[in-house]
Amino acid sequence: MKKILAILFTVCCSCAPLLAEEQSTTELSTNKGRTVIDIIRQKPAYASCNYDTYPDSIPENLTPAPMGKRPFYISHYGRHGSRYINKRSGYEIPYKMMVHANGVNELTATGKQVFSEMNLILEDSEDRWGDLTPLGRSQQQHIARRMISRFPEVFADSACVAARSTIVPRCIMSMEAAMMELAQLNPRLHITMDASKSTQWYMNHQDPLLRSKLIPEAQKVYDKYTASRLGNSRLMEMLFKNPDIVKELVDESFFNYYLMKMGLFQLNTHRYQDTYLTDLFTTEDLYRMWQIDNALWYMQYGFCPLNGGDYPYSQRHLLRRIIAEADSCISLEKPGAQLRFGHETVLLPLVCLIGINGYDLQTTDLEELEEKGWWCSSVFPMGSNVQFIFYRRNPSDKDVLFKVLLNEQEARLPIRSDCAPYYHWADFRRYCLKKLDRYEKRRNNSR
Amino acid sequence: MMYEQQMKKNDMHRMTIAILVFCCSLCSMAQTVADELRSDVRRAAGMNYALTLPETPEDTPPPAGKRPFYINHFSCPSDYYLERHYDNPYQTLSRADSLGKLTELGRDVLRRVALLRSEEHERTGELTEAGKRQARDLALMMMRRLPEVFADNSYVDGRSIVQNNCLLTLGEAAVQISQAHQPLRVSTNASHRFRAWLDPRDKELEAHRNDSLAMARYADFTARWAPDNSRLTTALFNDADYVRSIDAAELCRQLFDLACCTQYTDVVGGRALYDLFTPEELHRHWLRRNAWAYIRYGGCTLTGGNEPYAQRRPLWNLLHMGDSIMSLDYPVVHLRYTNESVVMSLVCLMELDGYGVQTDCLDSLEALGWADYRIAPLGGSVMLVHYRTDKNDPDPLVRVLLNGREARMPIATDCAPYYHWLDVKRYYLRKLYAYARTRDDK
Repeated sequence: MKKILAILFTVCCSCAPLLAEEQSTTELSTNKGRTVIDIIRQKPAYASCNYDTYPDSIPENLTPAPMGKRPFYISHYGRHGSRYINKRSGYEIPYKMMVHANGVNELTATGKQVFSEMNLILEDSEDRWGDLTPLGRSQQQHIARRMISRFPEVFADSACVAARSTIVPRCIMSMEAAMMELAQLNPRLHITMDASKSTQWYMNHQDPLLRSKLIPEAQKVYDKYTASRLGNSRLMEMLFKNPDIVKELVDESFFNYYLMKMGLFQLNTHRYQDTYLTDLFTTEDLYRMWQIDNALWYMQYGFCPLNGGDYPYSQRHLLRRIIAEADSCISLEKPGAQLRFGHETVLLPLVCLIGINGYDLQTTDLEELEEKGWWCSSVFPMGSNVQFIFYRRNPSDKDVLFKVLLNEQEARLPIRSDCAPYYHWADFRRYCLKKLDRYEKRRNNSR
Repeated sequence: MMYEQQMKKNDMHRMTIAILVFCCSLCSMAQTVADELRSDVRRAAGMNYALTLPETPEDTPPPAGKRPFYINHFSCPSDYYLERHYDNPYQTLSRADSLGKLTELGRDVLRRVALLRSEEHERTGELTEAGKRQARDLALMMMRRLPEVFADNSYVDGRSIVQNNCLLTLGEAAVQISQAHQPLRVSTNASHRFRAWLDPRDKELEAHRNDSLAMARYADFTARWAPDNSRLTTALFNDADYVRSIDAAELCRQLFDLACCTQYTDVVGGRALYDLFTPEELHRHWLRRNAWAYIRYGGCTLTGGNEPYAQRRPLWNLLHMGDSIMSLDYPVVHLRYTNESVVMSLVCLMELDGYGVQTDCLDSLEALGWADYRIAPLGGSVMLVHYRTDKNDPDPLVRVLLNGREARMPIATDCAPYYHWLDVKRYYLRKLYAYARTRDDK
């Protein structure tokens, strides 16, 4: 008992200075009154969470910087653009079920058409597993173009642009597409590119101690949450002559989920105009799938207490690196931009770790996620990015401000500010480093 | 004298031929391998040699009225970090050091190997800084030499195999081109799909590479031309008995291989490891690697003489695209990045500058001018530049640049180094069809 009290005391003490700096209320959601189902009705791809396409029309409105402060440095982490699915196995579950059902002549006319669509998709994807698509390239070009037009001061004259990618080809291609765009817009830029195994420890760190799989207790809660949301008898009746019999071959829940994913994924590929599979599903179907996925992403990559609650700390090296590089760049007269290209499994926990827009939410009630705005699709579609834009009056200005753009829109942080969405760099730095120190101490003690 | 001693031990007949050819070559060739190694020791790296070009390579003006409108360019990656060459020499030298068996030079070499090893750590496949500069310089040079093809309405399409050294080379080139001309449509892409024509595999031909007769001849060749390692081992180790307990020849080979793949490093004060070897030792090490490359990728008749046909699909692509682009009224640049071995076999298949030579005599390669660093060094390329008067020109011409220099094709022409496209197409199509008949494919 004493031990428990001691731990509680230590935790409370260590939280005290942090709480003092934090914003008193961290409101969630930046979705401006829209519900998830509204968004899905307008853009079905939103339901596919990490397979969603980038919202490439970004509102122009940016809050003017406090008087006299000008942007001078950008630090960025972005996900690669739209791509093909990584592996054939991503499509195999529904496909094999259809092969079996077709083999016993259980497909309706619509079912046969769906089977034929699936064959076309597989044919299109063959030997393109994980490839960046033309849409993915243009997303990166557009993001780069907007970055330079919104913050021309950072990219003036022969400013340095240091781009770094994970060693995964689609990330390298994304980086190159962005750099080619910048080079066209300002040929005098000093652009360097890098993709090295030696930087994977922070560019694409997956922490084995914080493994993202669900622990058994969390799995039970998740199963309970998804039980009423899985399945789609309407779809079964549409595709199979005898849905009850075919259930021996086709697992309704799996089939429904993976066929929907397969359809939505095509919006990223050369077959983006073909919405045949997506059209099989109602908005309600898509919405239920989003709920299932959103909850899983939260449990695996968010601060979900049911599953250890620490996964976002997997990106502590990246956050420390972002801070260290910013500190170093602030000391320079014209630091330019540091752009990093990686993955959604890094970006989402990073956003949670920093607490951008309230994504550091902790709850054991999965039903709360939607209401409180923990919507993963708003964080990590293909091409998603976090940009830290730094401001100061001149190189000797000690009060450096910065703001965060999540997918190019101004975001809020869980720290106080007298000029939000601008924040004092020193406050943010202190807040993050304390948070990381506290975690690392706890981690070391538990070993 | 050393040659004579070896002759007694080995195949007299082949050696005599080799010496005769070698002597002939000394008289006839302007630049021997020995000369070239002397002027730039890095060439000893063969296919790992990072190509450098003079500021202004020679360009023969095209016939009157002809202007370049299309470049199809198959390139090797630029200088990159290679794996596997670091651990073994490091371990051998470390062990010896712990036993106090290294001389001062030996300890210095251990220090250098350790530095090189730590520089390479977790960088396999990544471009070196020299490689990045090289990719940009070569792209700029292409633009300077052929400015008409990089115009406002041009389309530059870069493609790479899905391999980071090639992807990054393409990226550096594409960014450099984007910076050097605006506006310009530049697009890059990489996909496993491109392997079919950018890095094809031919298992049947690959199986021939390991033909037992070819391997025996290679073993014989390398044994006869093996360098005398005693000088280097005496310089590195202070105990002759200890040297006998290790595989000294293997260590020297490993140090040479390491020198080859770290030729542009600056972590050891601008010195790689070439200074450990005498010119003759370097030459002999190079002979081994050159013969190996010839057996695997060249027209070596010990393996059937058909290895270059493994890259018939890139040649099909060159021929097909040359025709397709004719109908376009804007200039096009196709940049393709693939493995060095693909470019090497492609050069041999196209018989550029006589590199299609077929022989079973590995001793004759040098005299025949077949030197790997001349054919497919890092940053090397085959570039077909197409010329015409206008879109309806019935007689387009083509010029080949091999590693940036004008090259000869085995085809008659009245305007060399320009060739009539129809003649070029006819020659290579015949060649490809003839081979296809033997293989049941196209």
